[in-house]
Amino acid sequence: MKDVADFVIRRGQWLDAEGRPTGPLPDFARDTAEVERMYRMMTLCRLFDAKAVNLQRTGRLGTYAPCTGQEATHVGVGAAMRPEDVLCPVYREYGTQLWRGVTLAEILVYWGGDERGTNFAVPRQDFPWCVPIASQTPIAAGVAMAFKVRGEPRCAVAYIGDGGTSEGAFYEAMNAAGAQKLPVVFVVVNNGWAISVPVAAQTAAQTLAQKAIAAGITGVQVDGNDIIGVRLVMEEALGRARRGEGPTVVETLTYRLSDHTTADDATRYRPAGELEAAWPSEPLVRTRRYLESLGAWDDAREQALRADCSKQIEAAVQAYQSTPKDSTDAMFDHLFAHLPEALEEQKDSARRWSAGH
Amino acid sequence: MAKVTLVEAVNMALAHEMARDPDVVLLGEDIGRNGGVFRATIGLQERFGPLRVQDSTLAEGAIAGMAVGMASQGLRPVAEIQFMGFLYPALDQICNHMARMRNRTRGRLTMPIVVRMPHGGGIHAPEHHSESLETLLCHHAGLRVLCPSSPARAYGLLLAAIRDPDPVMFLEPTRLYRMAKQEVLDDGLALPLDRAFRLREGEDVTVVTWGAMTHDVLRAADQLSLEKIGCDVIDLASLSPIDHDTVLDSVSRTGRLVIVHEAARHCGVGAEVAATVAERGLHDLLAPVRRITGYDTVMPYFKLEHDYIPSVARIADGIRETART
Amino acid sequence: MSRFNLPDLGEGLQEAEIVQWHVAVGDRVAVDQPMVAMETAKAVVEVPSPVAGVIAALHGKPGDTVATGAPLVDFKVDGESPPTPAQGPATASGGVVGHMPTSDEELREAPMPQVAPGSPGRRRRALPAARDLARRLGLDIDAVAGTGRDGLVTVADVQAASGHAASTQHVPVPAPLHRASDSAEGELEVLRSLRRAMAQSMSLARDNVMECTVCDDADIEHWESGNDYTSRLLRAIAAGCRAEPGLNAWFDATSQGRRIFHHIDVGIAVDTPDGLLVPVIRDVGNRSGAELRADINRLKAGARDRSLPASDLRDFTFMLSNFGVMAGRYATPVVVPPAVAILGAGKVSRDVVAVGDRIEVHRRMPLSLTFDHRCVTGGEAVRLLGAVIKDLEMRS
Repeated sequence: MKDVADFVIRRGQWLDAEGRPTGPLPDFARDTAEVERMYRMMTLCRLFDAKAVNLQRTGRLGTYAPCTGQEATHVGVGAAMRPEDVLCPVYREYGTQLWRGVTLAEILVYWGGDERGTNFAVPRQDFPWCVPIASQTPIAAGVAMAFKVRGEPRCAVAYIGDGGTSEGAFYEAMNAAGAQKLPVVFVVVNNGWAISVPVAAQTAAQTLAQKAIAAGITGVQVDGNDIIGVRLVMEEALGRARRGEGPTVVETLTYRLSDHTTADDATRYRPAGELEAAWPSEPLVRTRRYLESLGAWDDAREQALRADCSKQIEAAVQAYQSTPKDSTDAMFDHLFAHLPEALEEQKDSARRWSAGH
Repeated sequence: MAKVTLVEAVNMALAHEMARDPDVVLLGEDIGRNGGVFRATIGLQERFGPLRVQDSTLAEGAIAGMAVGMASQGLRPVAEIQFMGFLYPALDQICNHMARMRNRTRGRLTMPIVVRMPHGGGIHAPEHHSESLETLLCHHAGLRVLCPSSPARAYGLLLAAIRDPDPVMFLEPTRLYRMAKQEVLDDGLALPLDRAFRLREGEDVTVVTWGAMTHDVLRAADQLSLEKIGCDVIDLASLSPIDHDTVLDSVSRTGRLVIVHEAARHCGVGAEVAATVAERGLHDLLAPVRRITGYDTVMPYFKLEHDYIPSVARIADGIRETART
Repeated sequence: MSRFNLPDLGEGLQEAEIVQWHVAVGDRVAVDQPMVAMETAKAVVEVPSPVAGVIAALHGKPGDTVATGAPLVDFKVDGESPPTPAQGPATASGGVVGHMPTSDEELREAPMPQVAPGSPGRRRRALPAARDLARRLGLDIDAVAGTGRDGLVTVADVQAASGHAASTQHVPVPAPLHRASDSAEGELEVLRSLRRAMAQSMSLARDNVMECTVCDDADIEHWESGNDYTSRLLRAIAAGCRAEPGLNAWFDATSQGRRIFHHIDVGIAVDTPDGLLVPVIRDVGNRSGAELRADINRLKAGARDRSLPASDLRDFTFMLSNFGVMAGRYATPVVVPPAVAILGAGKVSRDVVAVGDRIEVHRRMPLSLTFDHRCVTGGEAVRLLGAVIKDLEMRS
């Protein structure tokens, strides 16, 4: 027997948990305004998350999927993308979406049980939240194929969770994208848990990034709580994709500091102490410390930022709560470009009975 | 005798059958340590161990396909699909292998499998968590499709499903999981398969329904009884095959048929009931058959879900109209 | 005062247990401040305050179970208008859980008998079209004898029974209608029995039959004495039907079918104080004038005192209206389905007629034949009419 294939998976980290550079930093990391912009967005995500959970707990929002702990991954990916790229999210990557122009109110309207929240005013070509696990990944490959067919220098980005990488669709998407050298990046957000199933029970693979090897494409790991690292690795992957050098799997290592959703209770299955052990590595503090080390941050600015975020959130909650329920016509009006005549009667029936509730 | 909810009755039946038959093995996402997202399998992994209550990888196709493989070796897998909207990746295995294996191998390989899944909406859930997709399964030959509407029927039918030598799709009405309790004796007595259940006697209108709608139909029937309209309420329970004789017998006495289901109207199971009555019971009908169903739209996200699911008022109105025709 | 009801903390949860209160009555709370830890079937969760204010009441103590939608906390709210939940179980009007019964509800299901098919209580089996016709005629389908397979009631059965019903009291009478006016004059008289049946059969004819009427005269100047109008008319109809059997028939619009009869059973319209009655003279083609006369007399007497059996009032294949005994020369008599033709005989009068080049005065009988043009052609109709006239113009 002789060796015919070999592979190495590299993991990158640029800021450690204390916010100290582990080596030379990219240019954008020395631009304090840019780092501050990312930190502001991460903070907004964190505070919004808490508000959304409270709204659910008081009966004012439906089931909500929190993002606490994963803000660096989400914001870093958003910051690396260009506006003309297309995002295929899962359902908790608010940092990316907000960066790309989705509003807090749109997010609340969606989790409030209303499809209008997915009619994004700004990123008109981005896909809505995707509940059926991994099904968004072949879609992203298809979006990338369209860019290739038209010769456009744009990229598609698909998110997927650690659990999602067990689905066949993920492999199908990677394999097709690799075979066709498509401009797509698959971001595997490894937060440790697929609801109650830990990564170790999900796969025997050492890393999720190495799943790319089977598809013949590049796979790389990055500290998902390191905003500098995530953005840098994503910029490199997107750059390769844009240059026609094919797809990449980026595995960001982070941790779900929340329950899976507001309908979940992670204390039932997570080992005692794991959550507490994960908190020191969370992404906001290290980013703040890094900003402080640049002399660009202090308590006063922190307080002002939090007040500003709360104001934005409060305004979004107001906008959400003052959004009247959609009419039953909406069920029919967006079913087809032109509603088949056969459905008109049902549309009338829905109107007639909507008053009952 | 214990008073239990429907989800507790499911748990009770699973536990009973696992204790009775060592070949019964559970698999599904989050069913082990977490006890299932609805807690249907709570306590079972502690009791029977991780090999008999398996936390599957997050892959519905793998769950269904592995159930096929395990069944071929004589195990009796009971697989859980977390929500019916996540059924689609599993359909390849269910429809192309599970449903056909006995036939393809002329009985050499058999599939004593149960695939459990929550069914229907009304619980304020996220998108893709509220679907009623029974038609997809009912259209496939080789599958039994059950949908219990009470704790007692959940218990008795799940036992029957596990003991049956062929694949059974077991749809558990999510809205009923904790809606009401019922005294259920953990006696291991299975209910018959392929049978409908008459829940109420009435002379004026036969009302056929299943799943969570059963309770709304019974409430509508309560209202109508005050108006002297008697409903003969039939819980179909077995959606494939359908116990047409029970329906036809009722229609022969009432002469009127209303079918209520949450799933979309077009090609819904109600159409099959109506077509069979047209074929075999037309001469008994005093009025046209009426269907009261979900609309032929996407199951809306929860703000509009109660505009989609037939309400008690809408059901009562339809039955009343039919009774007066 | 603002009341906060326990929302659905998961998906479709019906209740939750109070684990621990973090606040007490009189405490001031801020928005989103944790108030209470609640344990559901799925999770232990912290429930925050939805408002800023002072706790006025706590509903329940640790260990208590609270139903979804039941009161949890009352507040004295800062400012006058507390935020109203946009949706969800906390509102009384909207949301799923507000409409769901709690887990205290207990199902009680009595086992229901599974009645064997064919057991007593089964309804009369009938073609849907037959039911529809019976409904329009005001007939009780259960009283109609079915002649189809296994007693199935057909359209023809209903039509047959409608004649039967006309002679009996089976026709249901609706509740009296009232006018606003109290005046006795012109008071609404609800149609009963024969007149009501006439209203229904005439409506049926109007709605369904494509009527066409053709008129002519029969010269009966040369009749020998002893001829009576009705029996001669019956004989003439038999002659007409032999010449053109297509008018001695029934037409079923549902099946688009025509049934032509060999025997000729003529229904004769008899005017009675209660309304129209149509006794049937059987087998007109094979009976003598005397036999026909005897039958006519029997039926007329029976019609007047309403003693005719049902068998004399159903299944005519052709109809005769001898209206001319009173007045009127021509008319457009109405075909009553399923029959397809009716012959009307008007008042016999002395007319000036041309006989060769001469003018003479002859007794003539005006005839009006109405036929259902859906299944009878004009040619068929006039051939029949011609044969009728030819027979009538015979001396005897």
